[in-house]
Amino acid sequence: MRVLGIESSCDETAIALINKEGDQIVVEKKFLASQVKTHAVYGGVVPEVAAREHADLVFTLLQQSGISRDGSDVDVIAVTAGPGLIPALRVGVELGKSLAWAWKPGGAGSGFAGKPLVAVNHLEGHIYSVWLTKEMNVPQFPALCLLVSGGHTELILMKTHGVYELIGMTRDDAAGEAFDKVAKLLKLGYPGGPEISRAASKGNPTAINFPRPMLDSKDFDFSFSGLKTAVRICVESQQGHSVEDIAASFQAAVVETLVTKTLRAVSEYHPASVILAGGVAANSSLRASLQQVLSHQNETVTFHAPDLSLTGDNAVMIAVAGAFRAEKEEFVDPLTLIADANLSLVK
Amino acid sequence: MQYRSNTPEQTKKIAAEVAQTLKAGDVLFLEGNLGSGKTTFVQGLVEAFRYDGPVRSPTFAIMNVYPTSHPTIQKIVHVDLYRLADASELRTLALEECLEDPNALVIVEWPHLLEPLIKKPYTKITFAFLENEARLLTIEKYP
Repeated sequence: MRVLGIESSCDETAIALINKEGDQIVVEKKFLASQVKTHAVYGGVVPEVAAREHADLVFTLLQQSGISRDGSDVDVIAVTAGPGLIPALRVGVELGKSLAWAWKPGGAGSGFAGKPLVAVNHLEGHIYSVWLTKEMNVPQFPALCLLVSGGHTELILMKTHGVYELIGMTRDDAAGEAFDKVAKLLKLGYPGGPEISRAASKGNPTAINFPRPMLDSKDFDFSFSGLKTAVRICVESQQGHSVEDIAASFQAAVVETLVTKTLRAVSEYHPASVILAGGVAANSSLRASLQQVLSHQNETVTFHAPDLSLTGDNAVMIAVAGAFRAEKEEFVDPLTLIADANLSLVK
Repeated sequence: MQYRSNTPEQTKKIAAEVAQTLKAGDVLFLEGNLGSGKTTFVQGLVEAFRYDGPVRSPTFAIMNVYPTSHPTIQKIVHVDLYRLADASELRTLALEECLEDPNALVIVEWPHLLEPLIKKPYTKITFAFLENEARLLTIEKYP
């Protein structure tokens, strides 16, 4: 089954074509709007602004991806329906609906008038990014997912394909947002994640004892706003700490908080697998700590993190999540699908 | 008008007081540095409208929308322009849709790019650091 994935929930517009045959998933094409060459309009690389404008770019994106004009190499269309920024989401959703409406169905005897369309939750997409590991080492259920990105910090229990329970989330800032804002306080570049990680590798993680917010709370919620403020106070007080030490100590506080809460959720929910996904899953300290502590505490729980190229927002993960929904024939009607800024993962 | 807040809890209480003075179609600008209490203020304000879902920082999403059960302020639009580099990016957000919605209360964090362009009256709340956790909130109406 070939699935065209479309993602446009925030800054980036992306499309991808995957082929799923049984357990084998092959990525055939993947394109980002920010890579599209539109010299006529922007004179080179598309800036982030324009990538959020997406609407100007989607047909150029389709054309340059080499996906057949009549959709004959696509069996199913999967599109991010939310959560996200409405003007951005609409672009992808309307594209998906239009193609589903216009393209003829693939395969003989299909009962659909157009191309089958599935709606994917953006968070679900991130979770499915770990189904693309080369070793065919896929998670077992129930799986506990720590989803950490610029916009999200959530602990999700995945009971089986498409069935989720939200067990904890951030009450204020997302972990990735804390990285970006602390990087700005430290006058490092954007995005903050890699910059903090780089600086932290040369610093002492125990130099400053930053707060570990909500570490002792009984629930599985997070809070990173107070930690950001603690870093600001530390920077402004000019106590002579190096940028590297502040970065390392901040990163240690975030990692310890995320790892401790995840482990506690493992003790409570006894998952067969733990999944780390989202942009912050690219942080090597978080990946290593979580994997190490898990294998130390519980040898039967398997650990899964996406390939680094799939940690950020992308359309490949949407296509993969969509393929699993399509296998269960969870199709949506292009006449009624709408983008939902607050789309919930839990039905 | 000025308020002194000694704790995040007090900031939320001040927000609940300010909430009493607001009506549908109002626009609030919140100015203040990182960690000055803007999102805490919005949490208190939205709670006062009996929205019990999560109110989180919209820095990444740029815009969060909270539906309320209030008869006139039917939704609160929580905008954060922190990540925007210049005013040309504003038009990608279709903010005018929210600003012209008679049933919405629009709250904008990091509003400096929008402020010179907005065509309707607004209230600006400035968050300044005092000692420790204390903050000074200054409320001014424009024009």
